Amino acid sequence: MNRLFGIFTVGAASLLCFFFLFLIGSMIVELGQESALKAPRSSEIFFAIRLSLVTATAASLIALFVSLPVAYLLSRYTFFGKDLVDTLLDLPIVLSPIALGAMLLIFFNTPLGHEIERLFGPFVFEVKGIILAQFFVVVGLSIRLLKSAFEAIDVEYENLARTLGYNQVQVFLRVVLPMAGKGLLASFLLVWGRAIGEFGATVTLAGATPLKTETIPVAINLSFASADISSALVFITILIGISLGILFFLRKVDVFGRL
Amino acid sequence: MRSRGVLVFLLIATVSFLTCQRNEKNMPESITIFCGSASKPPMEEIVAHFEREKKIKVNMIFGGSGTLLSQMELSKQGEIYLPGSPDYIIIGERKKLLIEKSDRIVAYLVPAIITPAGNPAGIHSLEDLTRPGVRVAIGNPETVCLGLYGIEILEKSGLLKGVMENVVTFGASCEETATLAALNKVDAILGWSVFHSWNPERLEFVPIAPERIPRISYVPISIPVFTKDSDLSQAFIDFVLSPLGREIYQKHGYLSSLEKAKEFAPQAQVGGEYTLPAEYFDLLR
Repeated sequence: MNRLFGIFTVGAASLLCFFFLFLIGSMIVELGQESALKAPRSSEIFFAIRLSLVTATAASLIALFVSLPVAYLLSRYTFFGKDLVDTLLDLPIVLSPIALGAMLLIFFNTPLGHEIERLFGPFVFEVKGIILAQFFVVVGLSIRLLKSAFEAIDVEYENLARTLGYNQVQVFLRVVLPMAGKGLLASFLLVWGRAIGEFGATVTLAGATPLKTETIPVAINLSFASADISSALVFITILIGISLGILFFLRKVDVFGRL
Repeated sequence: MRSRGVLVFLLIATVSFLTCQRNEKNMPESITIFCGSASKPPMEEIVAHFEREKKIKVNMIFGGSGTLLSQMELSKQGEIYLPGSPDYIIIGERKKLLIEKSDRIVAYLVPAIITPAGNPAGIHSLEDLTRPGVRVAIGNPETVCLGLYGIEILEKSGLLKGVMENVVTFGASCEETATLAALNKVDAILGWSVFHSWNPERLEFVPIAPERIPRISYVPISIPVFTKDSDLSQAFIDFVLSPLGREIYQKHGYLSSLEKAKEFAPQAQVGGEYTLPAEYFDLLR
């Protein structure tokens, strides 16, 4: 029986790995068959990579910064309407990104939206729109991940620090944050990975403008939309490379288990 | 230490927001174009010329024609709308998003059979599409005008039933239908002759007998009601329709004059409406 179970687990894992490798392999073979002539301009490739890196990093940092107090609040306190708050903040995780993008587009048509654009400059069809769209897509995930990281820390450490004279800010900055350090890094990387692959909300709010709001996923879409498969394959390969890089780094810092 | 890092980050974010705002204010005159993805290669070239000559910044937003119309409606922006086919102009005008009668014809689209490179199934005529085992794709006739034109050709040729039996999928847009052939997912699609020019290495073009084409379509250009400067919008349209603009479209495989389009379909009507026949819905069941 034990042996059968072993075969089953190893078999399932091998099959799945084989399938993923085959997916990547078949794409590389397809890429090899394409003539190099049709590849996108290198300036376009570098632009898409740079924009994706910059926007995903900015969106993830802001998301993490906003999530820190929210996740701490949700992990440590109970209050009236907590379930409601929890549910509301989970919304971006389940909501389709295109719906989120459309909601943001509608929001910028309201007086408050106009006022925000007047104060901070335009978001709609601009790079700032990409960051905002990615932020809203990942912030729910970021809160969820940070909450788990905080919940893994024994509250006794905080109580002890309080009895030794730390105030709540000091406890948070000098006890909770350092203890959640690896969890924070892992959350950031996962959130960042999700942001860099974001397409639906980005394209709806920021539009698909080459060399302006052209992130890697937008570039893939634009290439596909003009039946330019070789360019799409080049961009897909880059996205796979970046994604595998993140996951590999996650393994290296050995924090996956904590989540 | 950490809080200081966060403060520095916030400071940088605020400064970048403020500088962005200042740049916006100093920006030269600019227009926003909502352009169907299929027209991306020629339009990018035309826009480069336009920007150089008129010293006006052009923002191009690409996407499916319907998606762009929704984006325009929600953002209340746009100086130019250039969808892939005239049916979106009708929708846009009905929704009062486009200035009525502001549309012009940029290029003509002639229906054709498109096959993957090498034409593996040996398709040479509409009749070949009825052969057992041939895998065919068409644009979704209820949402993509390409599909509607395809059904009309098949109905008028008496081949609707035979070909529909071989239709394995519907493309959700013109580009998606072309991609089905480019990725060798089907043996043939009913597309526009220009598809071949989009990807000549992967797609082959089989002309349909001229007398069998009842209607040709076109790429329209129109002015949204949200335009900040309708004169500038009109100036852009004039530039696209100028000999230079037409030459660029032609270079990318489009038929930029009616005479050229008529060579492929002498009796065809340009644009107009066609209603899906009851037979089509019967076949779907």
